[in-house]
Parts: sequence; structure tokens; C-alpha cells
Amino acid sequence: MTQLITPQAHLRSEDINVWFGERHVLSDVNLTFPENQVTALIGPSGCGKSTFIRTLNRMHELIPGAGLSGAVLLDGQDIYGDGVNPVDVRIKIGMVFQKPNPFPTMSIKENILSGLKLSGRKVTNADELVETSLRRASIWNEVKDRLNEPAISLSGGQQQRLCIARSLAMEPQVLLMDEPCSALDPGSTRRIEETIEEISESMTIVIVTHNMQQAQRVSQQTAFFLAEDGNPGTVVEFGATEDVFNRPIDPRTNDYVNGHFG
Amino acid sequence: MPVETKPAPQRRRLTVKPTLLGDRIFFGITTGTAYFSIVLVVLVLIFLMIRAWPAFQHEGIGFITGSKWDDSVQPMIMQIFPMLYGSILLAILGVILAVPMAIALAYLIEFLAPKPIARVVTLLVDLLAALPSVVIGLWGLFVFSPVAEGWAKLLNHYLGWLPLFANTSGNFSRSPFIAGWIVAVMIVPIITSVTREIFSQMDRDLINAAKALGGSMASTFTKVILPTASGGIVGGTLLGLGRALGETVAIFFVLNLSFDINWADLTEARGGSIASMILGKLGNASDYERSGLMAAGVVLFITTLLINFLAGYIVNRAQPWRK
Amino acid sequence: MAQVIAAKTRPTSAPWKRRNSRNILLVTLASVLPAAVAAAVTVLLGLDGAIGLLVLFVPLQLIASVGIGGYLFKKRGRQDAALIVFTVFFTVLVAVLLSSVLVAVFEAGLRMMRWSFISQNATYISPTTSLDYGGLGHAVLGSILVVGFTTLVTVPLGIGVAIYLTESRASGRNFIRSLIQSMSGLPSVVSGLFIYSAMIVTHWSGQSGITGSLALMPLMLPTVARVCEEALRLVPTDLRSAALGLGAPNYRMFLQVVLPAAKSGIVTAVLLGVARIIGETAPLLLTVNPSAGTNLNIFAGQIETLPTYLFGNLSLSTDYSVQRAWGAALIVLFLVLIIFTLTRAIGGNKQLKTPKKRK
Repeated sequence: MTQLITPQAHLRSEDINVWFGERHVLSDVNLTFPENQVTALIGPSGCGKSTFIRTLNRMHELIPGAGLSGAVLLDGQDIYGDGVNPVDVRIKIGMVFQKPNPFPTMSIKENILSGLKLSGRKVTNADELVETSLRRASIWNEVKDRLNEPAISLSGGQQQRLCIARSLAMEPQVLLMDEPCSALDPGSTRRIEETIEEISESMTIVIVTHNMQQAQRVSQQTAFFLAEDGNPGTVVEFGATEDVFNRPIDPRTNDYVNGHFG
Repeated sequence: MPVETKPAPQRRRLTVKPTLLGDRIFFGITTGTAYFSIVLVVLVLIFLMIRAWPAFQHEGIGFITGSKWDDSVQPMIMQIFPMLYGSILLAILGVILAVPMAIALAYLIEFLAPKPIARVVTLLVDLLAALPSVVIGLWGLFVFSPVAEGWAKLLNHYLGWLPLFANTSGNFSRSPFIAGWIVAVMIVPIITSVTREIFSQMDRDLINAAKALGGSMASTFTKVILPTASGGIVGGTLLGLGRALGETVAIFFVLNLSFDINWADLTEARGGSIASMILGKLGNASDYERSGLMAAGVVLFITTLLINFLAGYIVNRAQPWRK
Repeated sequence: MAQVIAAKTRPTSAPWKRRNSRNILLVTLASVLPAAVAAAVTVLLGLDGAIGLLVLFVPLQLIASVGIGGYLFKKRGRQDAALIVFTVFFTVLVAVLLSSVLVAVFEAGLRMMRWSFISQNATYISPTTSLDYGGLGHAVLGSILVVGFTTLVTVPLGIGVAIYLTESRASGRNFIRSLIQSMSGLPSVVSGLFIYSAMIVTHWSGQSGITGSLALMPLMLPTVARVCEEALRLVPTDLRSAALGLGAPNYRMFLQVVLPAAKSGIVTAVLLGVARIIGETAPLLLTVNPSAGTNLNIFAGQIETLPTYLFGNLSLSTDYSVQRAWGAALIVLFLVLIIFTLTRAIGGNKQLKTPKKRK
């Protein structure tokens, strides 16, 4: 197993184990996410990568019966530490979900500002914030004339980019993306990948994906998750994306990235 | 750097309870309202029990098993068996009449009728559910009773040799037969809606599979749909039974209450209903008689609560998606 | 080869091949003839309508349908025909009963409709006073006040319970849900007895509008809570995750995301709750002291409501008072129909608004 150690580790998971009830689903995940890099989490269905990404901003504990051990450090601080409010964690570590989920009762503009309102913060210079966020998610040109229309009038791909913009408006330090393109067509997928590339200049990104070409296109490092024969999922290989795909150390990684299973 | 593996990972405590003040207040208030509903039910029971106590104490078990209500003696005798039995008889009669209607309606809406017709029938059932008891009672008294009396006479004429339809008094009005129909009209909607719910949640693939195997509509209905939905139908029927027991005003108009117990002479003008009895007697009851009526209320309340709880349990079990 | 096997196991040709004009004629005959024969025989022999319907028409229809069905499609046709005849029979029976109620109320009630009936109260009106004098205006006002107060108290409670059931992770949810379900079967007369024993016998309060309101509360609560719960449950989990993922506390998530999405459902819950209690009579008979005059104070004194007005006039059982009772029934029915239409209208909107169904 390769280990990638960078001095500026931004987000780090230490010995993460996850249970649902008594079922042990993830075992000893140690990953380091360096600042302003994109890390892809790949692996077959049910290997725990989506579960893992949810532990990184404490969405995991919203599932009844969820259990966890280990620590997640953001800038060296344990996000599960005593007195740390999960709400504050989620403000710093944003999340984009599998299915686009704009708030249907709000307009495009309100959706962008919803994060601030929902976390109880004051909105100053709203218009500017809306424009920057939409621009960074490269959807500004498509929606600038219809900011007050309901968000669900957008197409699926636009909705997902709106959701990204909504997260960006919160100015998170880390953005987690859980298969953001799995419900979208190739064209929209490409645009979202471009967006990821652009925003990764200023933030750390963790993306779960089933699409190996996507992982290669957008990420600098890749972690391969695998759950074998009823054992809890674990990280089989973790390293620079190029190494994982072209020179994998573990034969199972080799099989997976070359499409032999999964 | 070697991977540190700990022998037994220690689980961390996750935040399950809300930590923010706003959330605490939010959940505090909503939990409060939920607990209030428990308190409400308990309060109903407590207040009725306090008032009912003198009657229970004096009559003992005879309150439920005896058949005499006599205010000419001191202290008066209060026994409600004919009313209790009458309530149950009416409820069962209502259920027997209502269940076939409900299943037919549900089947028609969910499986048989084309969309527009199904929609109209749904509307019809919902509308029936929305009709107040007192309006049904008014209709029952002036419109339905005369018609149903005719039916009762016919039944007695042709099937009078059956004990069910025997009638020695020659008086066919205000009988359990008529009241049973009224009860059926009142409970058809609830049974229909539960049955429909179960039907609509049924796995369409299962039904298609039965059809693909060459099953006819009828065999699909009897061999697949009914057995799969039976839990829900039983639960819905129990809910209907609970409603039937509590039906008050409509029965009040169309049933002649009598402590001379009527076991099963459906067309005789004698019947019983706890709820209607309470309504009829409370207005000019003495303090002690009032206590007896409260006791009758307690009996009614506990019976319906148990039936409803059981019904809810069965219906919920028949709908695994609820969990 | 395959065709040979198919031919052997299915000797009859496929049913759709038989849809020719002869068969259409047969089916039409099967659906028209029994009714015609039954009607003719009933009229000619002067039989009772019920006999004509139950003893003649239903068996005839059954025989005809099953016969034709069996002739066309063998056993499978017979069974299906029987199923359809029974289904349609029971549906028509319910439809007839319901329309009989509606027709009766409209027919008798409309005869009573005049401005004085709606606008005046019943002071100085005796059971034999001409129908042109006196009305139920005071009862309408009383009902609005009593039901209004119940709504005011119950709706927040019901919504609270619904939030507890859908948004919290408390372990008591299943119990509360069962309890609410059982409460919806609470006999209305018991609810009346409760307030009677808790407030009136104990002299906390005389019979007044408020005691009536409180007696209606346990009846309205389960309806509001249940329908609200359904409405909140329809809001996709995705939206809740999205809001929480943006760092929203639960209460803001609920107020800004879930509540707006469930708005129409909650309005429906309130309307259905009102419909549930607007004609409720038994509890009011035990807790409210009807008056002939107008009373706008629900905290004290006699007050009339629509259901008690209806019941009272019916109990007087003079021709005139029964007429007034029908009039009151029409007003109650009218209110129920308005609420009913409103909920339909809102429900229709809701379907447009909510995103497509989950898998």
C-alpha cells in the first residue's frame, strides 16, 4: 500500500472505522487530502466510498444506527472533537450530492443565498455573491437573465452546477462530491469536470466516482476502495492518480482499473 | 510511514441529540406536543374514571354483564350489557355489509376501472367520508328508514323462518337491521381507503407475473391480490369496527334503544348502542346516573382504543414501507 | 416446433380474434337485457323495487354476463364476468346510497333556503312559527367561532406532532404514531364526556363555546397530525440532506426548506381537520348549551352551533322544525363541499409542484 505524505495535509482521516448498527462497513481508512488538490475515491458499488465521504463532514451521523471510530482532521483539528458543532463543520466542508437537489420552492438566486440564510448568517452584497458563485460554477451566462425563476426550471446538469454554486457561496475550504455526475448526460458531465478543475485552484476537493476516465481526468490522487467477501471496505491502494491507474502495486487495483471486475 | 493499526477500534460518540440552542428549542416544542397527545389520552381516561368510579364500585362486574337499568329504586341499578352487546352487534352487521362494498370499490379503483372512472369513484368515497354523522342520521331517519323497513319486511316474509329475520312484534322500524346499514354507510370509506392503500402499494410485478402465467382477472384477484392484501383488509376492517362502535348521532335517530336484550332478531325494533345511550340519557341524568354513563363511556373508550391499537398494528405490519 | 407446442397447449385461438360484430352484439345484449327484463317483470307484476333489483336483476345480470363470458372465453371468462358484476354492483350500491343522501339534503334543504333563514337568529321562534321567520345565522356564527377556536388550538399541536414524527430521531415515534392512529377512532361522544367530566361537572367552566371547542380538539388532532405527517414525508430526503450539508441547523432546515415544500399539504391537513369537526354533533350536545339568540362570546354563555341547531330542530319533530333541520343539513353539507373542493384544488397544485416521484 502506498502512502502519499504531503507537508500541507489539509484534510486527513485517521483510522476511520464505520459501523451501521453492528455491521462493520469500513475499516481503518487513512487518507490525506492535500490543499487545493482533487482526490478521487473509486471502487465497486458497496465498497463504502460514499459512506466514507459522508464521514468527512459529519453527514454520516445523520443516519440512524451509524457508528464511527478514528478521527478526521481539518488543518490538524479533529472535526469530531469535543464541543465541535457539526453545523460548523458542514459550513467549512461543503457537499454536493449524487442527484441534483436544488430547493424547489426557491428561485435560482435564493438557492445560491440559501446556505447563508440556512446557517443563520447575514447576507451582505447578495448580488455580487450570487454572480461570483454562479461564475465559479460556470453557469452564470446561462442563468443570469432568469435569476428569479424557480430553480427546478433548470435542466439536470444546470441544477447540479447550481448546487455546486450553492456550496461555493458558502466559501468552504473543502468540497465533497458524491458521484456528482452519475445522474447526468455526457455533455453536462464534461462541464462539471471543467468546473471542478477551475475551483480546485482554490479549494480541496474529494470526489467519489464510478467513472474511471473521470477520475483520471479530474484528480491528482486516487484512493481505491474495496470490500471483499463480507469484510468491511478498506483502502487497497492510494497514491498519485497516474500511478494508481498506470502502475498499480496491488493486483486487485490492476484488475479493477482495467475493468476486470466491478 | 507505517500504518498504525489499533487492536480494537474504540467507537466514538456521535452527535445524535441536537446541540444548538435553536434545535433544542425546536425539538423540545415538537416533543412536547407529541407527549401532550399521550397526556390527552391519559387525561380522558383519568377524568372519566374518576366520575365513573361510584358506578363501577357499586355495580361491580354486573355493570358489564347485567341487563337492567332501573331508576325507580334507590340507589338505581345500572347495567349495560344489552347496550354493549347491541353496539357490537351493530358493528359486526355494519362490517359485514361494508367490507364487500369496500373491497369492490378498492378493486375497482385500483385495478379495474380506467383512470377517469377511478377518479370519480375515489371522489365519491372521499365525499362519503366527509359527510357528518348528523346528516346521515337525518337522511337515515326520513329517507332510508322507510326503504330499509320495506327490505326488512321482505326478508321477514321470505326468510322469516330464519331466527335472524324472525319478527314477533310486527314492528319493523328503528331496528338493528336499519341501524346496521347506517353504520355500514359510515364505515365504508375508512375500510375502502385502507384497502386501497394496500392495493396500491402491492407490487405490480407480482400481479403482472400472475397475469403472465395465464391467470385471469378473477384468479389473480382471489389467488394473488386478496391473500397479499389480507392483512391490510383485516386491519382496515378493525378500524371500521372501531368507528362503528363509536358511532353516535346517526344511530340515535334510527335505532330504538331497549334494555330488553335483542340477541339476533335483526328486524325487531329493539337494539342497543352504548354511545347513543350516553347521548340520550346524559341530558336529564341524576348525579349518580351520570356516573353510570361515564362508566359506559369508559367501557366504550377502552374497547375502541384496544381495537384501534390492534388495527393500527395490523395495518402497519401490512405496510412494511412504513418502517 | 415451438408453434406446434403452442398450438397444443392453447387449442382456442387468442381472445382478440373473437372481437367481431356477433360477439359485440352478445356482450351488449348481456349488459342490457337483464336490466330490461328485470324492469319489465317488476313493473308488469307490480313487484317491490327491491325485489326487482335484488331477486331479479342481479341474478339475471350475473347469469347473462357469466354465460356470455363463459361462451366467449370459457372458464376464465365466467370467473371474470362474475368478478366484474359483483364489483360493479357494490360500487353502484354505494353510489346510490351517497347520491340518495345528497339528493335528499339538496331537495329538502333548498326548499328552506331564503335570506331570512341564513341571516336571522331563532329568537322568538317557536317550532310552529312560519318558515319565513327565523333562521340559523346565529348557529353559523357560533360554528365559525367554536370550530375556529378549535382550529387555533389544534393546528399548532398537530403540526408539532407531525414534525416530531418526521423530523426527530426520537425512539418514541412509533408509539406516538400508533397512539395518534388510535385517537382518530376516539368515539366523539367520549370526547364530549371528557370535557363534560373535566370542566363542566367540576364547575371550571359552564357550558360555553370554549367547552365545545375543547371537546372537538381530540377529534381534530389526529386528522391534522396524520395528514401533516404525510405531507412532510413527501418532502424528499435529498432536500433535507442538501440543507444540512450546507450547515443548516435542523430548525432552519425545517422552516426554510421543508415547510415551504410541504405548505399545500399542511393547508390540506388544516382543511381536512375542519371538515372532520364541522358537523360533529355528539360532543357539542354534551358540552354546549344551545341558545336561540346570537352570542359572539365563546368564553361564556349559551351558544348555538350548526350541528346542535340541526339536532335540536330535528328533536322538536314538528313539520316546520324538521324543515329547518334539513335547511341546516344543507348548510353543513355546503360547507363540507366547499372544504372538499378546496382540498382538491390544492391537492392538484401539489402534484404539479413536487418533483417527480422517488424510485
